[in-house]
Amino acid sequence: MKTIILAIVAAVLLAGAAAYLLSVNQKPAYQAFSTTGARVTPTDNLVGPNWSGDPQGRGAGHRG
Amino acid sequence: MHLLRIALAALMLGGGAAVLAQTGRDVPPAASTANPSGQNPTAASVREDQLLRELNKLQGRVSIPDGKAALLEQPQGREWRQFREGWLPWIGGIAILGMLLALFGFYFTKGRIRLDQTEESGVKILRFNAFERFMHWLTAVCFIVLALTGLNYIFGKRLLMPIIGPDAFAALSQWGKYAHNYLAWPFMLGLLLMLIVWVKDNIPNRVDVAWIRKGGGFLGDAHPSAYRFNAGQKMIFWIVVIGGLLMSATGILMLFPFSATDINGMQLTQAVHAVIGVLFIAAILAHIYIGSLGMEGAYDAMGSGEVDLAWARRHHDLWVEEQRAKTASGPQVHGARPVPAE
Repeated sequence: MKTIILAIVAAVLLAGAAAYLLSVNQKPAYQAFSTTGARVTPTDNLVGPNWSGDPQGRGAGHRG
Repeated sequence: MHLLRIALAALMLGGGAAVLAQTGRDVPPAASTANPSGQNPTAASVREDQLLRELNKLQGRVSIPDGKAALLEQPQGREWRQFREGWLPWIGGIAILGMLLALFGFYFTKGRIRLDQTEESGVKILRFNAFERFMHWLTAVCFIVLALTGLNYIFGKRLLMPIIGPDAFAALSQWGKYAHNYLAWPFMLGLLLMLIVWVKDNIPNRVDVAWIRKGGGFLGDAHPSAYRFNAGQKMIFWIVVIGGLLMSATGILMLFPFSATDINGMQLTQAVHAVIGVLFIAAILAHIYIGSLGMEGAYDAMGSGEVDLAWARRHHDLWVEEQRAKTASGPQVHGARPVPAE
């Protein structure tokens, strides 16, 4: 049982290291496959960070 | 010059109005806007299906970095979707449910393979050392998560989503995707370690032919001889190594999409990854069964590392002789009673 727990801990640690290395080396699809002019990101777009229609992100929805 | 511009603009506006009239959407159809000739001028123009039939694919030009976006339509996309949504669930379902049914049938007809009670029972022999057990469980733990999250890609929306709802399924699938992408790396490490450490014991030889002829002990009276790994275990080893390497190669290609191949290559990669994956899971189900429920005493090999000498003598007699020749009654063999010297 000790070996199995050790293997689980090692798997989680190695997976964490893989997650970090992949995040450093990979670009999100919206960056890799589009020009800056075409990018629509949740933090900087026409519909706001909450996708609510408010570019400032103040409200939960578009209030017209 | 100014008058010429005005005339051109008026001409263009007039043409635009005519086009809108033909679509019939923005301008209501009326006798005054209908084509006086009574004919549809675009009736003979090329249509999408004709273009696809003649050219085999519809593509244009784009200015964004993703050149693939220029490809609008090609037949292979539909073929891949048909495979992904039609054939693949059937292949996976038959492979995995078929294996489970076979194992249930085997268990209920043949029962558990029992441990022999001989004068060597109770004496323990080290079968796998701590490092071997570690690399096995590292690979196994990752494999179980990879298998479950992989099956979610195929069956999740069909089986899980109706039960837990779309929101919970979306969250589960997202975390499953992270687990699949990241635990693939320790799985690949474990696979390489197992290949390096165990390959020398898994080279097929004549003893394996005799083992297969005797059905691993189910045909005939005497149990066939085997070295450290019998022919069945060697088959599992090579299924894991070859299947694992193919899964790793196709998995890396999907982790870095379009880095080495185009859209058709990506579709083929996904198909290979999925088909080998479900067959891999089916094979490992048999391995899990025989290593736990199916054979008494087998789990100890990967649990504590030590197995009963009577078990080892029955299933791996030639290996036991090798070990005894190496260590006699040394540290390799120990237990309640000393092993008699030969």
